[in-house]
Amino acid sequence: MSDTVETATAAPGTPPEKTPAPAGALERLRRPRTYLWLVGSVLLLAFPFYLDRFWLQAGLFAMAAAIGAIGINLLTGATGQLSMGHAFFLAVGAYSYCVLAGESSTENGHALTGLGLPTWLAAILAVLLAGVAGGVFSPIAGRLRGAYLGIATLALIFIGQHVLFNAGSLTGGFNGRPVPPLSVFGFTFDDTEVLVAAVPFQSSEKLWYVALLALLLSGLFARGVLRGRPGRALNAIRDHRIAAGVMGVPVARYRAGVFVLSSMYAGLAGVLLALVFQRTVPEYFGMILSLEYLAMIVIGGLGSVAGAVVGAAFVSLMPQVLTHYSDSLPLVSAPGTGGLAPGEASRYLYGAAVVAVVLFLPGGLTRLKKPGEKK
Amino acid sequence: MRTAPATTAPTTAPAALAVRDVTVRFAGLTALDAVSFTVEPGSVHAVIGPNGAGKSTCFNVLSGVYRATSGTVHLGDTELTGRAPHRIAALGVARTFQNLALPPHATVAESMLLGRHRLTRSGFVSTGLWLPSAAREARRHLQRVREIAEFIGLEKELDHPAGALPYGKQKLVELGRALCMEPQVLLLDEPVAGMTADERRRVAAVVAGVRDSLGISIVLVEHDMGVVMRLADAVTVLDFGRRIAGGTPAEVQNDPAVVRAYLGAQE
Repeated sequence: MSDTVETATAAPGTPPEKTPAPAGALERLRRPRTYLWLVGSVLLLAFPFYLDRFWLQAGLFAMAAAIGAIGINLLTGATGQLSMGHAFFLAVGAYSYCVLAGESSTENGHALTGLGLPTWLAAILAVLLAGVAGGVFSPIAGRLRGAYLGIATLALIFIGQHVLFNAGSLTGGFNGRPVPPLSVFGFTFDDTEVLVAAVPFQSSEKLWYVALLALLLSGLFARGVLRGRPGRALNAIRDHRIAAGVMGVPVARYRAGVFVLSSMYAGLAGVLLALVFQRTVPEYFGMILSLEYLAMIVIGGLGSVAGAVVGAAFVSLMPQVLTHYSDSLPLVSAPGTGGLAPGEASRYLYGAAVVAVVLFLPGGLTRLKKPGEKK
Repeated sequence: MRTAPATTAPTTAPAALAVRDVTVRFAGLTALDAVSFTVEPGSVHAVIGPNGAGKSTCFNVLSGVYRATSGTVHLGDTELTGRAPHRIAALGVARTFQNLALPPHATVAESMLLGRHRLTRSGFVSTGLWLPSAAREARRHLQRVREIAEFIGLEKELDHPAGALPYGKQKLVELGRALCMEPQVLLLDEPVAGMTADERRRVAAVVAGVRDSLGISIVLVEHDMGVVMRLADAVTVLDFGRRIAGGTPAEVQNDPAVVRAYLGAQE
């Protein structure tokens, strides 16, 4: 979205050799977007000092979800390849981290396998393993287009669920397994309290900055890809598959490549979610999760990083906000008294909000003002 | 008429495009029946014929979208038949589409940059990490895109969304994008269909300029006989998938078989 805005500001007909650096910096100072970014960054950095655990957790979920949503937006939004298997790759990331970083132990009668690697190494390897899992599936992802890939990836969900529930020594079965806290250079992101400026930092506060950094880096990476040569090729595959091939784009190879990349984003999101949850359970990584990720990018805006982030924030924060304040909603009664319970009311409202966005903002939340485009 | 700047791509010796006995069958239907013709290097070769004669099928075989049931297509010594579209593109065969195939939101410059795909190298990693090499490459090729846009008269529209331009200009963008591939052979599928007289003249001038100053061979499918007769060095006439005539525009115009195909046989 903002890509077109930025390229459009370079006046047509300007000599190409001209370096726009000084003019661009001044220009940027005059734009309100610069200040929005500044205020937003300061707020995001300051939140752990002011918010309580509930909101920090909600924010952490949103940031992890945003990384996963960026991944599926590269695949589905930018390339037009539907995937129902995103939750599978999230699971690969989350469980790989647990197995690689965890110690072998026995829990609830299950013997859990763990390699006990350094946690930072396990996190990186987990992302790579998710990429490998995507790579194993990529010959299929390269050959199938659009909705057909969506059907094929359904299989991943079913296989994933079966394995997660039954490979007890790796996954801990139904009850899942504990997630070892991340530790980098001797600093551990666990619940031991650290006082920072008189604020006790627990795992949520510490992880906040890890998630923020991860989101920033993955957002920048995806933006670079989308604005560059691969992004143009991916969009061409989405818009006119045959024309893309004739223009010299190896369609199958790009489809396979973006599938692997999107799996790695899902893997990173899985690792972060596991760290926030502190326990991975197989039930979470089901079909509903895949659908939620698709909902995020449709609501936020297909094909852009900002769309994925906004959509992820909407989908993961909205239910939390509604549940938190559902007591003060009109027409709700206390749970168990037969009327509309707060939890139910929040779910209805959430559903209505999703339908409203899709109906009235077909381009997603990030494309509020649409030039007369035809769909 | 401005002349096109010299190409930055390595120029290979011009090669003839030879179509030999190409047959295409879809289930029971024979869309092309043993069609042969040769496009001489640096010439404009028109393929004409009534609707359903197999012109578009012929283009789809040349660009690798369809696979010929039998027969061969050679560019110089290289066989094109059986190769995937992107491999044929890599050999320097570019085409435009009868119905526009432009991205709906991208600017003209971005649309044309897609044509540079085969000449550029940045991948997921180098663009994702914002490496300077990727930025340098993009800048260099944007420069060439600007030159080509000037050549076809689109320099003012470079930053406009391609999808919002008038139809005639969109067809010019497609032509520009094909030129951005620095092709040896350019396949133009009805480049002036649906254009105003003014736009037709402009496209015809661009096509003539491309042939004269870049030495690109052009295969042209077109219904506008005025444009065909003015531009073409050679004409192949198809009817019901068969080649019924060929030669210079003047020869073809007076060929009884062609008159029959277009106007019907006399009872």
